Amino acid sequence: MSTSFGQLLSANHAAALGATLAARANRTGRGFVSGVYPITPSTECMELLCNQEIEKGRVVRVESEHSAMGVCIGGAASGARTFTTSSSNGIAFMAENMVAAALLRLPVVMVAANRTLGPPWNIWADHGDTLMLRDAGWIQLYCADNQEVLDSVLCAYRLAEDRRILLPALVCQEAFVLSHTMARTLVPTQEQVDRFLPPLDLPGRLGGTARIVGGLTAPHATEVHRAQHHEAMGRFFGVYREVQDRFEEVFGRRPADPVVPYRADDADVLVVSMGTIGSTVERAVDAAREKGIRLGGLRVRTFRPFPAELLAAAFRGRGRIAVVDRNVSLGFGGVLWGEARGLADPGAVVQGYMIGIGGGDVRPEHVLAIAEDLSSREAAGPPVLLEAGA
Amino acid sequence: MGEAESSRGSLPAGIPLPLEVRVHGRGGQGGVTCAKLIATVYAEQGLHVQTFGDYGSERTGAPVRAFARVDTVPIRNHNKVYRPHHLVVLDAALLGDDVLEGAEPGAVVLLNTARGLEPFADKHGHFRFAAVDATAIARRHGIGTSAVVIINTTLAGAYARAMGLSWEAVERAFAVQGLERDLPAAREAWETVQVREADPGDGTPVRSAPFPASVIGIAEHVHDIPTPLRTGAWRTQMPLYRSHAAPCNGGCPAGNDVVGFVQALHKGGVQAAAQVLFRTQPLPSVCGRVCPAPCMSACNRDAYDGAVNIRGLERWIGDHVLATPERPAPAAQRRRIAVVGSGPAGLGAAFALATAGHEVTLVEGENCLGGVLRTGIPAYRLPEEILDRDISRILALGVSARTGTFLDASGVADLAASHEAVIVAAGLPRLTGLDAPGVGLPGVLQGIRFLDDVKRGAAPRLSGAVVVVGGGNTAIDCARTALRLGAASVSIAYRRGRKEMPAIAPEIDEAVAEGVKLLLHRQPVRASGQGRVESLDLAEVELGEPDASGRRRPVVTGRTSTIPCDALLLALGQSADLSIVPSFPNVFTAGDMATGDGTVTHALGSGRRVAARVLARLAGEPEPVEERVPPQALVTAAHVRFSHFSVALPEVERHRAGPGGALGFDEVSLGLDGPSEASRCFSCGACTSCDTCLLYCPEGVIHRIGHGYRVDEAYCKGCGMCVAECPRRAMEMVMEASAR
Repeated sequence: MSTSFGQLLSANHAAALGATLAARANRTGRGFVSGVYPITPSTECMELLCNQEIEKGRVVRVESEHSAMGVCIGGAASGARTFTTSSSNGIAFMAENMVAAALLRLPVVMVAANRTLGPPWNIWADHGDTLMLRDAGWIQLYCADNQEVLDSVLCAYRLAEDRRILLPALVCQEAFVLSHTMARTLVPTQEQVDRFLPPLDLPGRLGGTARIVGGLTAPHATEVHRAQHHEAMGRFFGVYREVQDRFEEVFGRRPADPVVPYRADDADVLVVSMGTIGSTVERAVDAAREKGIRLGGLRVRTFRPFPAELLAAAFRGRGRIAVVDRNVSLGFGGVLWGEARGLADPGAVVQGYMIGIGGGDVRPEHVLAIAEDLSSREAAGPPVLLEAGA
Repeated sequence: MGEAESSRGSLPAGIPLPLEVRVHGRGGQGGVTCAKLIATVYAEQGLHVQTFGDYGSERTGAPVRAFARVDTVPIRNHNKVYRPHHLVVLDAALLGDDVLEGAEPGAVVLLNTARGLEPFADKHGHFRFAAVDATAIARRHGIGTSAVVIINTTLAGAYARAMGLSWEAVERAFAVQGLERDLPAAREAWETVQVREADPGDGTPVRSAPFPASVIGIAEHVHDIPTPLRTGAWRTQMPLYRSHAAPCNGGCPAGNDVVGFVQALHKGGVQAAAQVLFRTQPLPSVCGRVCPAPCMSACNRDAYDGAVNIRGLERWIGDHVLATPERPAPAAQRRRIAVVGSGPAGLGAAFALATAGHEVTLVEGENCLGGVLRTGIPAYRLPEEILDRDISRILALGVSARTGTFLDASGVADLAASHEAVIVAAGLPRLTGLDAPGVGLPGVLQGIRFLDDVKRGAAPRLSGAVVVVGGGNTAIDCARTALRLGAASVSIAYRRGRKEMPAIAPEIDEAVAEGVKLLLHRQPVRASGQGRVESLDLAEVELGEPDASGRRRPVVTGRTSTIPCDALLLALGQSADLSIVPSFPNVFTAGDMATGDGTVTHALGSGRRVAARVLARLAGEPEPVEERVPPQALVTAAHVRFSHFSVALPEVERHRAGPGGALGFDEVSLGLDGPSEASRCFSCGACTSCDTCLLYCPEGVIHRIGHGYRVDEAYCKGCGMCVAECPRRAMEMVMEASAR
């Protein structure tokens, strides 16, 4: 296949290839290890990874998601580059060890194929599974297309392994909408990835002498560790700009910003969202603009750490803001809405909408309907749960 | 009582309200309950109270704090006590600045100490001080155990008295908490507590503890951060890293290091394993075929998924080890020793002596070496070339052999004159007969002679029905040999049951599979025939009272039956001929001749041990004693952590054509296909550096050292998890003093 036009890949495969390239790039370091357990719709990603030849690398097929993250914790603590992938209730089961990976400050990279939590079982997209881990201490990046998934995996390693950060990173891509959707994707060469990703040099990694990792601690030590973790999150945006620069230098394209605006500068109505809804919004914006309606879009790509300042800047001067969540925090509303609503100018109408839950297919007309609804409101009301159907 | 204010009631004037009490103790002493009891005393007077423990990672022995608050109004704050009015210290050794921290002059300190107030005469004068020997009192009243005395209730009695509270209030509090049984101890403390008033002028301020030390980021840890607590002081027991004897080793009559050679085979291969075997025995190919393998009966894996096939592994080693060992260097004091008899005992003795660098001459009556191994064991079990190879390994050490010379007493005496010592290992040449009419008829043969004749090529022709009498390996060998010589049917008559047959169990199975019939609980009482045996009368045998060996004595009944019998082979046991042993101080006996144990492995062990005795005697040194490991020192199945091991069934030897195929004298058992069976060995009592102890240690205080482990005494709390998790009893808990 032509490299200039990219290969036709699913986002699952793009993620696996990204992980493989990153894995090989650590061959002069402590190698690569991945614990994997299949669950729809992330299975294809682990399957492709299992079939890769990785020098100094090992993909361990384990008996559960919990153990898969356990393998990554052990590998990362020993200085290996690590990777895993999961979805939905698999992530729920993995959660205990995901918390451990974060609190141990291990630079594990994981791709989530966002799938609705069950039962009843629903294999389709919403963001509820990864947002459940909002406070688990991971970096969370949400993607809008296949190329962004691959690029985000590479960036995630660079970010996670940066000494100023040292945190695990979750790259989120929606079930089927991205995971199984094939699109032309540029796959970089190993030589490029080697230039972009230096071997992992984890401080304090485990070696020949056995020692306790994460034993019992005292309240004060935990207070300090939490502060350090939180400060590392705070350094993210500065480091991310450097990573964008370096990525562009090596690969010739620039990864998306933490917050991606679309015709937002003069918008009367701004639609804020995450993941692929953000790209759907772009089509709705174009359609509205053709009719002379000044609609704009804002896609939150980095959810943790939360880009509060960037959002506040983008909200400045905008009077009507719709926050569209593909999740429900039951008993509250959309998670993104909850976090973003306080960042708008005083007097701005910030209305929460939830749509596309359980894989409901969100189309531009839904976005236009939301914009219309918001335009007709005098003030914000309780969050609205919309049914996309199908 | 709700939110309403209480009154002070009858509270002594010296007790301030709100009151804060802090209890310091060690895990296991009951400090939290002590605080609760104190709070209850106040609650029973109608006051509001709050009491709680300071929970952390406490286990037995760790410093523990507990708190009580008392007030006339409901207590709303939920923080710990930093400015205690009363301090109760359950262990005098804890008394330090951290315990006294925050206490103002005039505060009351109640201390559990055996030394009274005297040692504190010059100290802490600004505190009101009270002392009681609660440990002695509680121990007298049997509260707790002798190792861990629980003193909380006793101290509560002393507290009430020291604070001027009424005894009735104490009784009520104990009733509320259901602790009436401890009241007598509390009363004794109430009566014996000593109090010294405070001297407000003597104000020695107590330093505040420094703010916690700087915290290292979780990602910057490069080694364990030692906790400031030297937690090793808390333990009463300690794990001791050590080996234990494996049951296979304990069960081997030859004294082989069984677990040693199996593990050496697993980790180092055949040559390494042979090195271990050759320390005690020179005939691995022989024993790997004919040994009854008591090691396998003792194997702990038998209780899990089947004993390790140790015999098969020994055979593998014997058959695959490179042939010739290096000739040992001559001993500094080279002895000249003759060994009479080249059966397993003689070979074992010769090997041990030659390995130690001495000059050995083997004297054998037959024309070939091997004794009973050559004459008494059929070729289908032990091929001649296999025996030759094991023997040649012994000869390669420089042992010289003289064959074809049967010695009588004077011949042995001559040897004794020309050698520094003679070891006679002439086996059991005397054969036990059958005491029954008709045993003199032609066709009645001694089994061992029959086997010998077959080996020499002088086999009698057999036809018709052959009956073998006996239950040992000779009986089985006779029966299977008879089948091979053309007998139409072969039966074994044995007076006990199949389980009682001394023969190797798989050999019995193979005999039955080949068509041998077992006539159990039967005793021949008469052989009959016209000029030759033609029939045999068998009497039924019942089991009577146990004999000295614990086996039930067989009782022959009058119920008989007659079976056809064209040949009767007797395999009823053998005995020694001691007439050839002159009583010279430098003549020794070994093997069956000395012990009568009757197996190759016993004979090998005897030969080796007698050789060591002879060398010690010649050197004028005390004779070495190989002590048997007492059963309680062996690793038992209960010590093995089965969950550590995956189920894997034993590998068994392949066999040549079974029933239906023509029976010949080619070796029946083809042995194992490889040495992988060695990986099933639990390595009982012998550490394999598996890291289980290290991984399970909750404190991370077990470290690798060489191929083993070291427990950091400064921090080990004696929890015993490493011992509980060790798959193979390579650790044990010992009382603290002997662990060091």
